[in-house]
Amino acid sequence: MKGRRRSAGSLLFGLLKWAFLIFLFVYAVFPVIWLAVASLKTNGELMANPFSLPAVWQFQNYKKALAVSGIARLMLNSVIISTAATFLNVLIASMGAYALSRFRFRGNQFLKVMFSSGILIPLNALMIPYFVLVNSLGLYNTMGGLTLVYTAIGIPISTFIIMGFMASVPEELEEAAVIDGACFYKRFFTLIFPLSRAGVVTAGTFQFLTCWNEFVYANLLTSSQAVRTVQLGIRYFTNQFATDYVSMYAAIIISILPSITAYVLFQNQIIAGLTSGAVKG
Amino acid sequence: MDVKREDRVGIAVFLTPVLVLFTLFFIFPIIYLVVVSFVEWSGLDTPVFVGFQNYLRIFDDKVFIRSITNNLIWALCAGFVQVPLAVLAALMLSYKPRGWKIFRTVYFFPKVISAIALATLWSAVYNAQYGLLNGLLRVVGLGHLQTNWLGTLKTAFPSVLIYWLFYIGYYMIIVLADIQGIPQDYYEAAEIDGAGRIRQSLNITLPLARTSIVTCILLAMIDGLRQFAEVYILTNGGPANRTSVMVLYLYKEMQNYSYGTSSAAAVVLIAIGTAVILTIRNTLGRETF
Repeated sequence: MKGRRRSAGSLLFGLLKWAFLIFLFVYAVFPVIWLAVASLKTNGELMANPFSLPAVWQFQNYKKALAVSGIARLMLNSVIISTAATFLNVLIASMGAYALSRFRFRGNQFLKVMFSSGILIPLNALMIPYFVLVNSLGLYNTMGGLTLVYTAIGIPISTFIIMGFMASVPEELEEAAVIDGACFYKRFFTLIFPLSRAGVVTAGTFQFLTCWNEFVYANLLTSSQAVRTVQLGIRYFTNQFATDYVSMYAAIIISILPSITAYVLFQNQIIAGLTSGAVKG
Repeated sequence: MDVKREDRVGIAVFLTPVLVLFTLFFIFPIIYLVVVSFVEWSGLDTPVFVGFQNYLRIFDDKVFIRSITNNLIWALCAGFVQVPLAVLAALMLSYKPRGWKIFRTVYFFPKVISAIALATLWSAVYNAQYGLLNGLLRVVGLGHLQTNWLGTLKTAFPSVLIYWLFYIGYYMIIVLADIQGIPQDYYEAAEIDGAGRIRQSLNITLPLARTSIVTCILLAMIDGLRQFAEVYILTNGGPANRTSVMVLYLYKEMQNYSYGTSSAAAVVLIAIGTAVILTIRNTLGRETF
């Protein structure tokens, strides 16, 4: 009797579990799929029934999206800025992480705590200082300005992630290199940096996604189409496309394709990075 | 490693770039905000010292109070609804049910898409005429519940808040990894003692994954405090400032050339953020940072 009740209970538990997991699954993908399907319909079809499949797949929506939004240029800008900011960020963070994670000196612990605490600062609150700073450097409305800001805002998290990886390289390895006469810089570039590659790639992937998706400072620090990023472009889609919803949906799909591709390609690094970054500590 | 004489220069050279960037973009801005919060300044004219006037003004402004309230609701929902959902999903996936890796991949997927694209997508979902939500309601025969989700006073803020609470992938992955690192022996011992899965979860998994859960709660609450893009795209604070949040408020003050009040609002936001961090640390324990 007891056994049967338990199995009924665990059956119910199993059902609830799967309902929960599948709900979250559908929730994560369904809106995107719906948008992708809607982007291939006509505006008339969309209005008549939001769930119908298109009678004829309207690929010209995508042609129109590309033409109206100027998204190709925006994407190029995003690629340039995100790549430069990722490269600089990872290099600078690795250098700092090397000095902090592998040498004992006074103030070391303080600096570690200080940099890490930067992760929890609500960066969006710093609009005025960033605006004034970038302006006074003469970098307002330039790709250089955005690159500088993006490089800087990712420093705490990148340093944190890379420090974790560098600290785990055995000390004997480095001491052996010292005996071989390798100087500070040589040890960094030929030993520690290559051995913490996994951490560097993780931090870099994260940094790239952050840059690619950043909106607040792209909005605040640029004003012309020539330096605008994709995220800022999306904001103007509603104006550009007015009531041509399906073409706007197509433009949104185009704008998220690169991140989806990056995710599919670097999925393992991203997941590994999340876990190492926040769990190791 | 102990520092050798010849490494000193190298360490200094390697620390300089991080120190410069951190000072310029993290320390200086906070000091700057505190200073500007005590002056009246349009960003163009000469600043005039006004003491606590800016703080008095923003706390007298119903929109700012509404923004703080919204942010606190947001932060609490993030920390104590979103994260628990993530922990629940992580617990379920930690038993590696069929397809758990696919679930993990898909749950994280929305995090890869920018907040702007997601918000634009959701404005299509909430669209009064041909949105997905109203369409869904019609299909299941609840057509009378259809409404202009983002334009109605009662539904606007919940609509902006709720869609985002079920995107749990980020926190789920952090907690799941921590759970998967717990040695299997503990569970085997519990099994012998006759503890079921729920008992095991409560007595072994949750206590041992505590640090990562606290980290998630903190990250989620800070995220709730710094919301901007979502609200900016979906409602721009409307209708009647019902959906305003602190960052949107300080952004609008800045756009109105009221740098003093904008800075004061920013200082309040940072202070609330710090208070949240300290409260969590003193009640739930330390996180990993």
